Amino acid sequence: MAEGLSLWLPAAVSAAGAVAGFAVWSRPAVLKVLALAVSLASLALLVASPGAAAGVSLPMLLPIAACLSLLGQPAHTDNRAAWILTLLLLGLGLSMLTVQDGMGLILSALLLIVLVALLHRYRALSISHLWQGIGIYAFGVVCLVLGLVASPPVSAMAVLAVCAMLLPLAPVHAGYVAALAGLPGNLPAFLACLLPVLGFHGLLAVLPHLPDSARDALPGLGLVGAVYGALKAMAQPRVRALLAYANLSFFSMLWWYVATMRTAPPQAVLYLAAVGLATNGLLQAWYAIRARYGDMDLRAIRGLAQPMPRFAVLFALLTLAALGLPPFGVFAGFMGLLLTPGLPLSGALAVIVLVWLTASWYFLGLLQRLLFGRHLPDLRYEDLGRTEFAALLALVLILFALGLAPARVFQPGAPTPPAQVAGGAAWNR
Amino acid sequence: MRALAPYMALVPLLPLVSAILLAAGGSATQQRRAALGVWPVVMACAGSVVALGLVAAGGPIHVRFYEPGAAAALAFPLGFHIDRLSAIMMTLITTVSAIIYLYSMQYMQQDRGYARFLSLLTLTDFVLLCMVSSANLLMLFVFWQLLSWLLYLLSHNRTHQATLNGAFKTFTLLRAADMAFLMGIVLAHALYGTVEFQELFERAASVPVVLSPLPGIELSGATAVTLLIFVGAMGKSAQFPMHLWLPGSLYAPTPVHAMLHAGIINAGGFLLNRLAPLYGLSPTTLHVVFAVGMLTAMLGASMMLVQNDIKKTLGFSTIGQMGYMIMECGLGAFALAVFHLIAHGIFKGTVFLNCGNVIHKVRQEPTFPHMTHDTEAPELSRLTWLTGMLTSLLMPLVILLLTHGVLRIPLWDAQGTVIFLFFIWVTSSQAILTLTRLRAVASWKVSVAMLSTLLFVVFTYLFAAEAFTHFLYPDPNEVTRYFRAAALPGPLFDGLVVGTTLLIVLGWAYLYAQAHGRTMPLPAWVQALRVRLYVLLMNRLYIDALHDRLGRGIMRVAHGLDKHSFGGSR
Repeated sequence: MAEGLSLWLPAAVSAAGAVAGFAVWSRPAVLKVLALAVSLASLALLVASPGAAAGVSLPMLLPIAACLSLLGQPAHTDNRAAWILTLLLLGLGLSMLTVQDGMGLILSALLLIVLVALLHRYRALSISHLWQGIGIYAFGVVCLVLGLVASPPVSAMAVLAVCAMLLPLAPVHAGYVAALAGLPGNLPAFLACLLPVLGFHGLLAVLPHLPDSARDALPGLGLVGAVYGALKAMAQPRVRALLAYANLSFFSMLWWYVATMRTAPPQAVLYLAAVGLATNGLLQAWYAIRARYGDMDLRAIRGLAQPMPRFAVLFALLTLAALGLPPFGVFAGFMGLLLTPGLPLSGALAVIVLVWLTASWYFLGLLQRLLFGRHLPDLRYEDLGRTEFAALLALVLILFALGLAPARVFQPGAPTPPAQVAGGAAWNR
Repeated sequence: MRALAPYMALVPLLPLVSAILLAAGGSATQQRRAALGVWPVVMACAGSVVALGLVAAGGPIHVRFYEPGAAAALAFPLGFHIDRLSAIMMTLITTVSAIIYLYSMQYMQQDRGYARFLSLLTLTDFVLLCMVSSANLLMLFVFWQLLSWLLYLLSHNRTHQATLNGAFKTFTLLRAADMAFLMGIVLAHALYGTVEFQELFERAASVPVVLSPLPGIELSGATAVTLLIFVGAMGKSAQFPMHLWLPGSLYAPTPVHAMLHAGIINAGGFLLNRLAPLYGLSPTTLHVVFAVGMLTAMLGASMMLVQNDIKKTLGFSTIGQMGYMIMECGLGAFALAVFHLIAHGIFKGTVFLNCGNVIHKVRQEPTFPHMTHDTEAPELSRLTWLTGMLTSLLMPLVILLLTHGVLRIPLWDAQGTVIFLFFIWVTSSQAILTLTRLRAVASWKVSVAMLSTLLFVVFTYLFAAEAFTHFLYPDPNEVTRYFRAAALPGPLFDGLVVGTTLLIVLGWAYLYAQAHGRTMPLPAWVQALRVRLYVLLMNRLYIDALHDRLGRGIMRVAHGLDKHSFGGSR
């Protein structure tokens, strides 16, 4: 009861914050402070809850992602709706992590309806797959209704389809791509964490109820999604679509792992959190560019390293984290997955590693095109502001902490091994 | 003195202090910070020498900040294992990097990214030191990957498109090799349940595992692991066909080349030495290592001959030398490979640091280097032939055999020793022949001087190599075991030696005659082959073109998929 309340309370605070936001609608600066305070309060409530002694948990990731995505935003009237929606979605997300069964499905349907409405509302800014995204999410609502009324295994399969829309998996990934590529303000950055967390949570709940044939097919789908996402990411000229497809590739690897191992150890959570946060950071960094020059093609800008050094350093570090280089969390999570005892050695593992390799290609291409080369003399350059810098720096530090001491983050109560010094052993080259 | 041992783990951290010092602060204080930054680098050098003394006298130093077996349990396995191999590598790296740092302080002084460059240089130093003193395979791999990234950053001139293309190729090729390394680690962990070096060696030796990757193909666990890790080593040490990144990285500043050719590129040789007990379990892998090394040595040296740019010539020379180094590992002569990489590192570092001066001088004096041309071709009588053959081909061989006898090196016990002798013979003969071809002085005088010097050099070299082997691998049984594991089938080995000797003698005859103004009649097909080979080598076997075409092919597939799939970008 106390544990349930400990999650309901932050959710209620976030929802109340969203409502309170309308009271200060005319004052963007105050609204931003309110949104930040509410997300921090949600985080504080989660940290203070009885279950927090076990370390960082999935629910805590949501207010952290919300808070950091809000922090870097300029106090502008155009962003107000995105901030209130962030609080609303945060509340909805925390609620979904709290409840089970029927109520959970209803809240999921509500989330998908909100996303459909948002994609429809911002269709003017759309790229081509926005409509497919709307269609997929609408189909998700139908699946959830089926999940409520049908009996297993049909209901389980319907819920699985929705999980695949949230934690993106081909062929139902279009909604995720559209949300990241088409929504305004800080919403894509926040949704890059929120949707996968909710999908992952749902997947763990539904996995035991799936028929064997579906469970056997999932690793294959994961592999196809990983390869497809990587190839699509390589072909994208727009940053947000590139990041969305990169996420499809990375999260498909997680699908493959969970479906193969039929379990989700802490390293899977670490991987999920790190990929989500790295994408959150990159989307925020790209927002900083969009805020200055508009939503442009990658080919229209280059050479930012020299005129915007602070941006360049943080963007490079986030890209390194996203492509899976040490000492960041994505690498630690991936290594954790691969070194799990009992992971079958098969050709699938080689495909996963190859897909991992392609991330170096498209992420380095992104970094090189954006930061290096001669900068354009006709643009007016302005480096990151204080809040933008703080938000990105915080993300880099979190990813660094996840990479260096993930055990400390996820199991803070575990004893620290003492430093061991030995000498004169027989093994000496 | 032994009480100092735990503090040796701080040595790799000293260059990091420099890197942070240089990175923090504006351009106004960069000169002062650069001057301050030299001290930690020099201290690291002194610390490495102390560490070498400590491990030589009292055995390895092991400092560990994690529980063994925690590699898969979300803990970064941070630890340092400094043994004789690590200490030697640390001494080499810190000495070379201290010299390069001092050189760069002057060389890069007016560069816009002066502090950033020095910071990256010291960061590379830190990463290299951590890599060679890693306590386990996973930590080694972490720093191995960081090295790939630093090589990308060290390209430095990021507004120059060719530099960027080279850097991109470097990073992506090295990542491809890193992924094979990663697979090797995953396989090793899956088969033996550990990434700790000593445990891994013990379990691999005591638990034979047979894998069947394809129907009808069986591999031992050790072979599969070592082959995969060897691909990682091939990347860093620029082995064929993963050598493409090295010529492409030649736009980087000169100190980077010195660091690259004297330190970074040796990573492959170090890795094979670090895992020598594992490689010793797999004759198949050692034969593959030998074949790849031999191919790289031949191609690197051949491509070097047709380059017209001093840096590219040196780059291909390094590829050839790395081929030799890897080939030595494939022969089971692991210590010799380390000896080679030290000698080559110091030599190539010096050459690179000096090549800027040569280029500068050539620009000032178009007639440099001064050539003397004999208008008269020297006479090529039978006596000249005999003298030449005696001094260039036979005498070095006699000297080598004598030296082996004096030092009591068992010549026929191990193929590796025979090949080693073969290398020295070929190299010394080539050196004498080159002097003869210069025709600046009478060849017999040069030859006599050269032969007496050779006697001294070979004696010292062999003695040093033997002593070094004993220092690095104190157990002679271990050395013998590696040689036995690497032994090629008898007829194949004999065929290789005889065939290569024949080629060398024929080549010698041709070059010697040319040096004396005679032309040898060659069949037309040989002439045509020569031209074809020249074109092929000048175009680097078209492997760069093949690589580019492969890249374009993948991008075409990606764009095709994007165009025809659900949600394609426009």
